[in-house]
Amino acid sequence: MKPLNKICIGLLSIILIFPYFEAFSQAAEKGDLNVAVSYFITNNKVPYLQVKVNTKVKGKFINVGDIPVKLFLDKDSTGTFIGNVTTNEKGEASAYIPTSVKAEWATSIKHTFLATFDGNKKYGPAKGDLTVARAKILIDAGSDKTVTASVFELKDTTWTPVKGVEVILAVRRMDSDLPINETPTFTTDSTGKASGDFKRDSIPGDSKGNITLVAKIVDNDQYGNLLIEKTMPWGAKFVPVNNFNERSLFATRNKAPVWILIIAYSIAISVWSVLIMLVFNLLRIRKLGREV
Amino acid sequence: MENSTIKEKIVKDMLPTDAAAIREEKIIQDLLPQRFGKWGYIWVGILVAICLVGMFAYYRQLRYGLAVTSMRDYASWGIYISNFVFFVAISLVGSLITAVFRLAGVHWSTPLTRIAEVIAVAAIIFASIIIIVDMGSPERFYFLVIYGRVQSPIIWDVIVITTYFFISILLLYYPLLPDIKILLRYKENAGKRLYKFYGFIGSFWKGTHKQYLLSKKAINVLCITIIPVAFSIHTVTSWLFATTYRPGWDSTNFGAYFIAGAFLVGAGAVVVAMYVFRKADHLEKYITEDHFEKMGRILVLLALLYLYFNVNEFLTPYFKMKESERAYLNGLFTGDFAPVFWFAILVGMIFPIIILLFKKGRKPLPVFIVGIMVVVGAWFKRYLIVTPTLLHPFLPMHDVPANYHHYFPSWEEWAITMGSLAGVCLVITVLTRIFPIIPIQETLNEQHETAK
Repeated sequence: MKPLNKICIGLLSIILIFPYFEAFSQAAEKGDLNVAVSYFITNNKVPYLQVKVNTKVKGKFINVGDIPVKLFLDKDSTGTFIGNVTTNEKGEASAYIPTSVKAEWATSIKHTFLATFDGNKKYGPAKGDLTVARAKILIDAGSDKTVTASVFELKDTTWTPVKGVEVILAVRRMDSDLPINETPTFTTDSTGKASGDFKRDSIPGDSKGNITLVAKIVDNDQYGNLLIEKTMPWGAKFVPVNNFNERSLFATRNKAPVWILIIAYSIAISVWSVLIMLVFNLLRIRKLGREV
Repeated sequence: MENSTIKEKIVKDMLPTDAAAIREEKIIQDLLPQRFGKWGYIWVGILVAICLVGMFAYYRQLRYGLAVTSMRDYASWGIYISNFVFFVAISLVGSLITAVFRLAGVHWSTPLTRIAEVIAVAAIIFASIIIIVDMGSPERFYFLVIYGRVQSPIIWDVIVITTYFFISILLLYYPLLPDIKILLRYKENAGKRLYKFYGFIGSFWKGTHKQYLLSKKAINVLCITIIPVAFSIHTVTSWLFATTYRPGWDSTNFGAYFIAGAFLVGAGAVVVAMYVFRKADHLEKYITEDHFEKMGRILVLLALLYLYFNVNEFLTPYFKMKESERAYLNGLFTGDFAPVFWFAILVGMIFPIIILLFKKGRKPLPVFIVGIMVVVGAWFKRYLIVTPTLLHPFLPMHDVPANYHHYFPSWEEWAITMGSLAGVCLVITVLTRIFPIIPIQETLNEQHETAK
């Protein structure tokens, strides 16, 4: 075979094999992740971030767990690194803003939080960010049972009242917050205040009648999530009814209901009295036999 | 030939009292406990061997814990509890044959009373043992007594079983006293040790009028006492299940359902024992075809009654097919448990009813076969009451190993269960070796009354 023919056959073979090789070697298509960042500050203390990761499968959003996410303040660099978090089965993870970024935090009245995922075998890299202005919320409760929330934004170096912010005024309950009256949200006026009358007089509080009032801003585009609490003795005193030590069918042995004790012991005593009488009867028969 | 002619002449020449004495002597000789023959020893040997294997399995359970069983978080009651319910059920026969028939003035049952009492005592002994086996470590029984709550049906069961056991022992012992006097007359039959034992338990019985009256009164009191106690033992055992909110157990019918089933299996056990003792001890003259005929009629009545309760138990839930009970009911009717379920219904109730409805079906051999069918069917029925329910809880099973979804007894469970069944047979065998299986004195008394 001529050398030219050999080269042609070799090239043809490579051309034919290459697509198949490509087909085999091609990696499975990676999924896309959505990374959302939320900002929270409770009682004007240390703010924290919550990351939520999900993906779209067949038109439905599904939470993705076990995704490592890096969080940064303003820019992706070592000095502004907030921390590494990994999402749980609900696709959520959270981290407090550490003191290591305090200097960066103080430099600006607005901050952008960056969340980055570098990608893995299943999902490609993903990013999310959130920009919030520094704000705070205060709560006040008057003797006439009026609840007032005040919202301030940091402008330059002073806290300035903010107008037109929607605030929820509510009472803390076990699973969720109950608005203080029929109005679901209140809007701050030019002084940054929003007031509502407390109309949940009969609501149970603790043993002293204390309830926890909350004022909160939820998912605000500018300020994120702000919440503040205040305890007031406006609830009804709750006296727990504990029947643990009462006599019942399900109590301990020394707390059996009297009726069951009477019935059980009466039956047992009467039957066993008969049996004991029969044993004595046997002894009488024995004695009679000995006498014969 | 010549001898028989002489015998006939002697009998003709005898005074009536002499003839009666010979008849009595014949009855006594027929009914005295027989020594084991070759087959007797083989039978006892087999039972002892099965018991020993069961004891070895129990030793393993004590050493390694209940992990050697197949009982897990869901099927926490297996064949031990099925067996317990079975023994409790079978023990009811003592009250049926002895107490109910005696109080109702049924005299034909006299030859069957001792059989029933012996079965009741043996069954209740092993019901108590098997429940302690199910606890795992035996000291838990002590803690149950010390820390038990009087509100709990488990404590009621412990109290009522103890009471029933005591009553059964007394009901066996009192009617034995006149027989022991007879046994003491036949020292050569008894052997030295057994003679000493008879003397220890009954030498004081002289058969005086006063003794007789006291004994009769005691037996009557026992017969009256045992009926409510027997009903209680079965009702309370049924409440162990019915007071627990689970598919299949959530029934107000359970007490009556258990009592009906217990009467059936008890009667079944008696006809099996009747046939075996009749054959083994040649008691055809005393346990007659008429006894089988009558017991056959009782069996068919009890089987119909139990079938009626079963229809009640299963038809109404099947009609409603509540979502929470669907898996349980389907499991029984067409699922994993269907072969056992239909076996228990057909072999334990329907076939016996069909066979016993015919006169030919109430002959000794068919009745014996039906008795076996009833007893075997009843054992499986108890298994069906206990385990399928536990494998179909109201809340679905989550995050459990695959084997938690099923239950099949381990070899240790089988060995202990078989050991306990063999134990019951062994106790019955030993008791019938020691005591006459048919009450001798009562048979003689009846003979006198017939002669009059």
